[in-house]
Amino acid sequence: MSVVGTSVARKDGIGKATGAAKYADDLSIPGMLFGRTVRSTIPCGRVKRIRYDFDTTGFTIVDRRDIPLDGRNVVALIEDDQPFLVERDVRHVAEPIVLLAHADREKLLAADVIIEYEVEPPVFDPEASTESLKTLTIDKGHLDAGFAQADVIVEGTYRTGHQEHVYIEPNGVIAVPEDGGIAIFGSIQCPFYVVKALKSLLGPKAHVRVVQTETGGGFGGKEEYPSMIAGHATLLALKAGLPVKIVYDRTEDMIATTKRHPSIVRHRTGVKRDGTLVAMDVEVILDGGAYITLSPVVLSRGCIHAAGPYRCDNVRIRGRAMLTNTPPNGAFRGFGAPQTIFAIEAHMDRIAEALGVDPVTIRERNALVPGDTTATGQRLTADCSALPVLREAVERTDFRRKREALRGTNRGIGLSLFYHGSGFTGSGELRLASKAALELTDHGVRILVSSTEIGQGTRTMHAQIVAETLGIPYEDVDVAQPDTTLVPDSGPTVASRTCMVVGRILQRCAEDLKRRLGDLTPAEYYRAHGPFTIVREHEPPGWIQWDDETYTGDAYATYAWGCDVVEVELDADTCEVRPLHLTAVQEVGKAIHPALARGQIEGGSAQGIGYAIVEHVAMRDGVMANASLTNYTIPTTLDTPAMDIVLLENPYEDGPFGAKGLGELPMDGPAPAVINALRHLGVDLSEIPATPERVMSACGSR
Amino acid sequence: MERFQYTRARTVPEAIGIAAQSTTAQQSAPIRFVAGGTTLVDLMKLDVERPTRLVDINHLGLNAIERTADGGLKVGALVRNSALAQDPAVMRDYRVLSEALLSGASAQLRNVATTSGNLLQRTRCMYFRNTAMACNKREPGSGCSAIGGENRTLAILGTSSQCIATNPSDMNVALAALEATVHLQGTKGTRAIAFQDFHLLPGDTPNRETVLEPGDLVTHVTLPPPRSGTTSRYLKLRDRASYEFALASAAVVVEVAGGRFRYVRLAMGGIGTKPWRMTAAEQALTGAPVDEATIRQAATLALRDARPQSQNGFKVELATRCLAHALRLATGMASV
Repeated sequence: MSVVGTSVARKDGIGKATGAAKYADDLSIPGMLFGRTVRSTIPCGRVKRIRYDFDTTGFTIVDRRDIPLDGRNVVALIEDDQPFLVERDVRHVAEPIVLLAHADREKLLAADVIIEYEVEPPVFDPEASTESLKTLTIDKGHLDAGFAQADVIVEGTYRTGHQEHVYIEPNGVIAVPEDGGIAIFGSIQCPFYVVKALKSLLGPKAHVRVVQTETGGGFGGKEEYPSMIAGHATLLALKAGLPVKIVYDRTEDMIATTKRHPSIVRHRTGVKRDGTLVAMDVEVILDGGAYITLSPVVLSRGCIHAAGPYRCDNVRIRGRAMLTNTPPNGAFRGFGAPQTIFAIEAHMDRIAEALGVDPVTIRERNALVPGDTTATGQRLTADCSALPVLREAVERTDFRRKREALRGTNRGIGLSLFYHGSGFTGSGELRLASKAALELTDHGVRILVSSTEIGQGTRTMHAQIVAETLGIPYEDVDVAQPDTTLVPDSGPTVASRTCMVVGRILQRCAEDLKRRLGDLTPAEYYRAHGPFTIVREHEPPGWIQWDDETYTGDAYATYAWGCDVVEVELDADTCEVRPLHLTAVQEVGKAIHPALARGQIEGGSAQGIGYAIVEHVAMRDGVMANASLTNYTIPTTLDTPAMDIVLLENPYEDGPFGAKGLGELPMDGPAPAVINALRHLGVDLSEIPATPERVMSACGSR
Repeated sequence: MERFQYTRARTVPEAIGIAAQSTTAQQSAPIRFVAGGTTLVDLMKLDVERPTRLVDINHLGLNAIERTADGGLKVGALVRNSALAQDPAVMRDYRVLSEALLSGASAQLRNVATTSGNLLQRTRCMYFRNTAMACNKREPGSGCSAIGGENRTLAILGTSSQCIATNPSDMNVALAALEATVHLQGTKGTRAIAFQDFHLLPGDTPNRETVLEPGDLVTHVTLPPPRSGTTSRYLKLRDRASYEFALASAAVVVEVAGGRFRYVRLAMGGIGTKPWRMTAAEQALTGAPVDEATIRQAATLALRDARPQSQNGFKVELATRCLAHALRLATGMASV
């Protein structure tokens, strides 16, 4: 029997397909009120006066003064700088100031709260901002000595904009007073992040229980923001003494919650005539928005990936995340890497052009191989697959011949080579000390983890790992709903870590349990000996050495590798860019569930195609002006090219069955591949999305 | 969304009688007809439209497609967009209309959206749809946030200092090129309005979009008999391949004889405050040889009066190319 490596039925499949699955907004609790957030309408300034211009009968009204004495008005995450409710200073549009709750939604929406401000000039340009949220430098070798060896120096500046997650289900929670504290039911990626934030809000001794309801997508957009909305619902519920539901509509969700960080990346690269990279000087600027939130770690991952999957002895990467007066930017699939990989991969094609070699040759010459070191000095081992994915993609698409054959037509072909570190950066996994548990049931075992199913297949994949390890049928494995009073803290469901890290802890639990069971099945053991639970903590490989001060060492336990080839058609007349075909070769260690793995790659690639061509957040005066699905365009199935997904497997020795992280990798490749395909057509773009007007002005120079 | 009263009208006179009590048939009318509801209900949810009463006209039987005595086509107000697009006579004789309809919205929306609803479709200007922003169309006198604001998708023809919103309909562009007639029934009897006179320029009253008066019900649209020897095509350029409004679109109806344009009707969408007929270009093409130079010249001439805003200058060139390419398609100079 082998269940790992087969595409078994999803644990959540029937419930979702039949509509039986309950999302936050499907839940209704007797006595429940609806909550509403009154937000700032200016990007920078101070609140002078708040006036309630409505009959307040039946309303629960909360402002900053309602935060409990034991608690703090900060959304605890990395730094404690973002308040749940404005104290006085407003740093961005849509910042929460007052909360209202009422049993009647119409009355709630009609209530008029008038806020007077003292307005100050905002900063929207990250390069003009004087306040950095985080800076870092990665240094390897000697940059000057590297440039001294160079025959050619190639420079370029690359820009990417905001990107909106567009998860199907907007952010939403219900807060229910319970045991003198609060229980939260909601659309949440990281339940224990919410616990941490609420314990900060209410005081360390407060009872806090967080339960993840079925969640309609996250993509990083439900990593940090649920703490905010849960805090708001909590304050209202505790004041009213009744359950309170807050579910954003699409516009509020788009205006108020996080987006992908816009970026400016500058490259100056020294290269020898034969194509060898000898010096890479990279500057990464991220627009962090108005609070620190996750910007330091987004910047960190972005910078670590900024030199691309290439060998170079002399590298300097300087990064800074700057404060601007827009809502904070945050986690979004890829977490900084799609921005920097867009830059390096577009830049590599410029280097190839400068040297008169093809895009494959320049990458073959420099691609990392086992034994090489990355920009942080991490020495790669046998699970490095840069060349294998490149070669497979080139061969499969007949890239070189096709590139010649398409010359002079309205079709172009381009590729990108990329990698993505699995799990938390550096010693992050050690600090997390994640736990997972398995308990016996009367018919098998139940998985207890706080990892969330947000559409990506967590429950299914974890159950496969456990069933395979125990040698029991997949059907005998249940997965508990994440409830923070019942499951251990397995760390957040982010950073491509849920399979590789949490899956590995579960595998260890299962190994221990198997030894304990002896010849008995879990059900037989349960009948003979009663309930039994096994808990294990993550044991990161001992060889990982990382220095947070100097940004040197083993940034990630392993990397997944990818090469995307995109063929586009350009209508020279109308400047429409149509992606015709995408080949995604991705090395994932081991595909636990091949259909889900392919699904992740298809979905991530579609998101990447949207990032490349159509998705444009019109940020005006610090607020998203096109905050609706009418005006924020994402690809439809017709805009998504035919995809050839190729899974390669080069096992990571410490992953479950060799698995690496996969969730974010597919987001990194499509944008540069599209831009490089346009470059093949003579369209010189260094900014995405490639809208008709940008293509048209670039065509003018053809 | 505000509370409203709902009435299902059983007869045309009953519907007209109720609607005639309205103070206006334009933006902010307290009484509204509802058919497919694909625009109206959306706008009610957004509080952009706040009628106190809806009159459901779905059961008035205005859903037939019939031949007219002169060989033209009579399209009932309630004919669904998908039914009209797939009608054999439309596909054969008025291909431009079929193509335009099928390029709009999504299959699900086309299955419920009606001919008269499409005719009256409201702009997708983001400021019109956002009650937190100033918009003269939604709230006369409040100002126009789009001028100097996010106007990438907005109009370059027919704009005024009060409004630059685009008419979003694809169907309307085809009907303009086909020289359709809109038939109304009101308290004073019936009226027939030439298509180009039906929609109004924004001028100083962008809240007034059509000639409709309180009580006026669109009963049907007629198309003139198809001219033998003509070819008609619709080309739509947009940010994505489906479910997206036009950045520029062109409806062309042409007849070519002896290598020359003998009959030309042109209209464009996505660029005008109303469906835009290109009469100067029609005249320039009529009698001229069918060649690249003539087409380019005419397309350039068509956009001669374009007045771009801060973000949509690219639309002048894009629309020029769109019209030229639609002409190439209709004359067989290009196949895709």
